[in-house]
Amino acid sequence: MTRPWLTLVLAVAIITLGAGAPRAVAQDKDTLVIALDTLGAMVMDPIADTRAPHAHYHAPVWDSLVGFDFEKGGIGPGVAERWERAADGRSWTFYLRKGLKFHNGDPVTAHDVKFSLERIMSPESISSGAAALRRAVESIEVKDEHTVRVQTKGVIPHFAASLSRAVFMEGSVMPKKYIETVGTKGFREKPIGSGPWKFVRLVPGDRIEYESAGPHWRGTPQFKKMTLLLVPEQSTRIAMVRTGEASIVSIGPEAIKEAQAGGMKIVSVPGTMQAVYQFWGLYKPEVKGSPLSDVRVREALSLAVDRQQIIDHVMAKQARWPLPFTTYRYSIDVDIPRWEAWAKKALRYDPAQAKKLLAEAGHPNGFKMTFWNTALPGTPFMVQIGEALAGFWEKIGVKVEMKTVEWGVFDPMGRGEQKGLTGTASMYRTAGRPEPSPRYQTTLTSGGIQHLLGEPNMCDKVCQEIDKVYESAVSERDDAKRAVAMNKLTELGVNTWVVVPIIEGMGYWAVNPKRVGQFKPIPGRHEFGDVAERMPKPEQKPWN
Amino acid sequence: MQRFIIRRLAQSLIVLVVLALVIFALARVTGNPADLLLPEDASRDDREHLLKALGLDRPLHEQLARYLKGAITGDLGTSIRYRKPAVEVFFERLPNTLTLVGIALASAVAVSIPLGLLAAVYRGTIVDRLSGAIAVLGIATPSFWLGVVLIYVFSIQLGWLPSARMGGPLHYVLPTITLAAFLVAGLMRLVRSSVLEVLDTEFVKLARIKGLSQMVVIWKHALRNALIPVVTLFGVLFALLVTGAIVTETVFAWPGVGRLTYEAVIFRDYPLLQAVILMKAIIVLGVNLCVDILYAYLDPRVRYA
Repeated sequence: MTRPWLTLVLAVAIITLGAGAPRAVAQDKDTLVIALDTLGAMVMDPIADTRAPHAHYHAPVWDSLVGFDFEKGGIGPGVAERWERAADGRSWTFYLRKGLKFHNGDPVTAHDVKFSLERIMSPESISSGAAALRRAVESIEVKDEHTVRVQTKGVIPHFAASLSRAVFMEGSVMPKKYIETVGTKGFREKPIGSGPWKFVRLVPGDRIEYESAGPHWRGTPQFKKMTLLLVPEQSTRIAMVRTGEASIVSIGPEAIKEAQAGGMKIVSVPGTMQAVYQFWGLYKPEVKGSPLSDVRVREALSLAVDRQQIIDHVMAKQARWPLPFTTYRYSIDVDIPRWEAWAKKALRYDPAQAKKLLAEAGHPNGFKMTFWNTALPGTPFMVQIGEALAGFWEKIGVKVEMKTVEWGVFDPMGRGEQKGLTGTASMYRTAGRPEPSPRYQTTLTSGGIQHLLGEPNMCDKVCQEIDKVYESAVSERDDAKRAVAMNKLTELGVNTWVVVPIIEGMGYWAVNPKRVGQFKPIPGRHEFGDVAERMPKPEQKPWN
Repeated sequence: MQRFIIRRLAQSLIVLVVLALVIFALARVTGNPADLLLPEDASRDDREHLLKALGLDRPLHEQLARYLKGAITGDLGTSIRYRKPAVEVFFERLPNTLTLVGIALASAVAVSIPLGLLAAVYRGTIVDRLSGAIAVLGIATPSFWLGVVLIYVFSIQLGWLPSARMGGPLHYVLPTITLAAFLVAGLMRLVRSSVLEVLDTEFVKLARIKGLSQMVVIWKHALRNALIPVVTLFGVLFALLVTGAIVTETVFAWPGVGRLTYEAVIFRDYPLLQAVILMKAIIVLGVNLCVDILYAYLDPRVRYA
């Protein structure tokens, strides 16, 4: 009867011995391995995925027409080294860098740029920039091999900005001749671009491999190869970066301490998002006279929130005090010092004042409200922030009925009639981008999809004023006048207390200091698709 | 026998059709993929454009008709997220799950048969109690937690094994243990009880009277007969694992069909979700059918039930 036991012991021994020497799993030093929580659709085609995944795994292969300001965040030179707006504000000329080549050796020309913008606007494109480009572009004209002119529909002061991965649209430059030769399917199977990394292989659901394309204007990769891994589970990603199986992994704020304890370095990308809460449909007749429709009550709710506590405890100190709605330290057209001063005072924690305001509004004993707690994809910590909010509100006597729902269920409620949301509050966020105006359009103007202040046929004085100021903030050609309008819009927005910033979030990464040297992220761009080529090896720039 | 098989096939077909309709409806109740693909500042036309690009602007009955028509010819539509035929996406991932589940099941059987047998033969002794304890542990340990602990011990602390992902043979060790842990428990208890039952039968007693050695009695006579219910459970477990290894696949970043299902749900990728569930249903029905046929073959009473 000893035989099965023997077999078992033998089997265990073989497995154990077979495992070999400790640390047998470390990878080679010439490969940069980044493990991510999402790789989106994993389709190698800039028109087949949306914003965040695009910036993870498309950015290494494709250059964007307009690039980044690597230091401050926001836009900078890209495939176009410079651009200018015509005097009438209705057309833009882009001057391309000379000598750029696609990975098959074909030169990058103005024809490729025209083709790419048209491809992004095509009906089969699901790129997040597609619809906005269709609205903006009248025609595209190739002036010469290295010059493209885009005629816009009306004056769009920030049109060039919108062709950068720093912003909303994505101006990836794709190879016209190659795509026309091999077709969409061929292009997706063997994609080429002009970026610093060449595509090597894609294993569905697992990884994408790249190799260095040699010297590049965005930065010459220091690693010969790069692999992006899809590892959905956070604790597994942390294990992988600790063992060296991955060089860099994406993490959430709740994992920062654990990663640091394991000797990992934390890289926080500032200004990637702003967590906000907002009130829905308060202008509607059926909720007139409810506590939330009183602006004093809404201000009181903000004063009740201890933002520093949220930053310290929910965000492990890796978050910043917010500026007004959708405003970041790299925002354009707004007076940052003015709004920093405002935020420090207006967004303070002052429960005594909050209670006083509640009493003035006739609710000394509080009231009942419904709060939808949800998290957008990529920022699961929003739910914990929402829980903290409800706690602070309960402290000043407000009874919060919290409904926690998955994003896929919540999002449709905010479109169309918004029946379930009218008269309630919810968590929300804005993603980091330099121009604030598009988010004002969505959230506060009467024609916007959320239209928190009113609808075209139900728009009170404040709502009408916001509509008017918004129009001048987006169509004013004169920079100084546009800034005045944008600051006015910000002021009108903050005074409504209808969409209220909670914290400015960051993008978080755990880095194994033995696998990769010290590097700087681009402010506002959470993903590293435009950073990897500038990451040094540990011996080149050790962490201090 | 033939009539039995035909009857079971027809039943399976009805189940599939009903399931196809239910998934179609359920997938659409809880949300729309367009909402998840769009950035939070998308406008109404952005949404309309996207719905059109995805073919979701058509009325429901038209979508249903197209889906059913396609299903008959094996075309379950294009995955919204992956921009490829949904069936192709499923079959790309299926081998990954099959290998993992196959190895896990084989390991579970290799461990649980000897253990169950020992527990039965040494019933009531320390061996039996120990194996009982292992069974309880295996069933009670959440595989998510077990996976995380294994990674911590064997990858981070000892550095012997890779923490996740597909790769060489070493990559299979931790996910296999995680999956097998809960299988071993059930299989072992089943082996034990059915061996005990068989040991009590007349033919085993006869074998002993014939003067056969303990070894021969147990291995040749008892175990063989005791394994019939185990084979059944094996089939059920296989089908269950192909569909339900989501947790293990997620913890170990294993690109299998379990995780694919989860992703299809989260992204409201209707065509993919429909395809994945239908394909899995076919696998489950297929395995069940085989088990039933095997059973009917082994036990004629079933054929007339």
